[in-house]
Amino acid sequence: MDKMIDDEMLVAQFKSGSQKAFDELMKRYERRIFGYLLRSVRNYEDAEELTLEVFFKAYRALGTWEPKAKFSTWLYTIASNLSIDFHRAKSRQPVYMLEDEDVIEKRLIATDISSNPEKNLEDKERGRIIREAVDELSAKQKSVFMLARYEGMQIKEVAETLGMAEGTVKIHLHRAIKKLQTLLRPLWENNEI
Amino acid sequence: MEKCKTSEARVIDYVYGELDQSESSAFEQHLATCSKCTRKVYSYSHVLHLVDDAESEFLPVALAPRNLEAKLYKRLADAPPEKNSILSRLSNYFSNLLLVLHEQKVASICIFSIAAIAVAFFVGNPFRPTTLDINRINSADARIEQYRHNDIQRNLEDVLRKKHLRHSDSWDTVSQLNRVKDQAQGTDWANIAKNQLKRVHSEF
Repeated sequence: MDKMIDDEMLVAQFKSGSQKAFDELMKRYERRIFGYLLRSVRNYEDAEELTLEVFFKAYRALGTWEPKAKFSTWLYTIASNLSIDFHRAKSRQPVYMLEDEDVIEKRLIATDISSNPEKNLEDKERGRIIREAVDELSAKQKSVFMLARYEGMQIKEVAETLGMAEGTVKIHLHRAIKKLQTLLRPLWENNEI
Repeated sequence: MEKCKTSEARVIDYVYGELDQSESSAFEQHLATCSKCTRKVYSYSHVLHLVDDAESEFLPVALAPRNLEAKLYKRLADAPPEKNSILSRLSNYFSNLLLVLHEQKVASICIFSIAAIAVAFFVGNPFRPTTLDINRINSADARIEQYRHNDIQRNLEDVLRKKHLRHSDSWDTVSQLNRVKDQAQGTDWANIAKNQLKRVHSEF
């Protein structure tokens, strides 16, 4: 299908009964939505299942969808909500201990600083530690950071996607970057990452 | 030395590219004289650089979900149809009514429309769900059926290709053809598989 046809046109075609229009929309966004969800849940199977759920919900709701925002924004809104629900459900599972955010923060720093400074961390291990720090962000901070940093969204678009005021998005973004700095600075100062 | 009053948020905005051009150049002028802010800029830039590296290593560009299209249509076919709430049916009904009145400005058509709706209201069921969803479900079902046909065709081609390559292994061919025949129950492919079975038996 012609790539010049914009999303809203495809939505209109789908509403008038064209399945191919939805296939094209799916083709355009499946990688981006999957990538966003994979970064959010850090597990391939879960991300795949959630991506399917995003397009399932979109398919069923698209018939009555009113284009107040861009189609892509709406799709990311569904993905963000599903991701938040996923984390909420996961945090309710009894195997995970609920800890205060500050405690987790201190624990992460303490664990990594107290590890053997002689140890030469491989690149993979370094990446894992950094991603662990990203995962320590609150759900909102992480969503804002991921959308703004890796999905190429402007603050305004992030605000529309997450249903927040632009000022709130900025506050979450600032806090996210500040927290990452708090978590990671001791590690690079000790040459651990 | 005067104490720097620049907020942390301002530094982050600069690093993140959220300042406009004039604000950005003003901040750069400030950086030339403020070592504290210069250190902060370095620190935040380094954090973002580290995180970017870790995230791009985690997610290769080529990564995509497997068979999403097929899984979606399967899911749609399995899912129960959505039931519209009374409220949404009422709203659909009145919005359709308003749309007709708005578009058809000729009085006679208006009267005809109102009369038709009144008949529909008293005789028919005006709150029945729209047929759009049914069409959608039908098309999702059609898509599933198409995937099934493709699957049967692929399996049959596979058996025939193997049969051609390995003349001696007829028992294997027969058992595979039987499997395809079972899979293809209710389709034309079942007859094709049956004919192929007859042919293999006659070649024994």
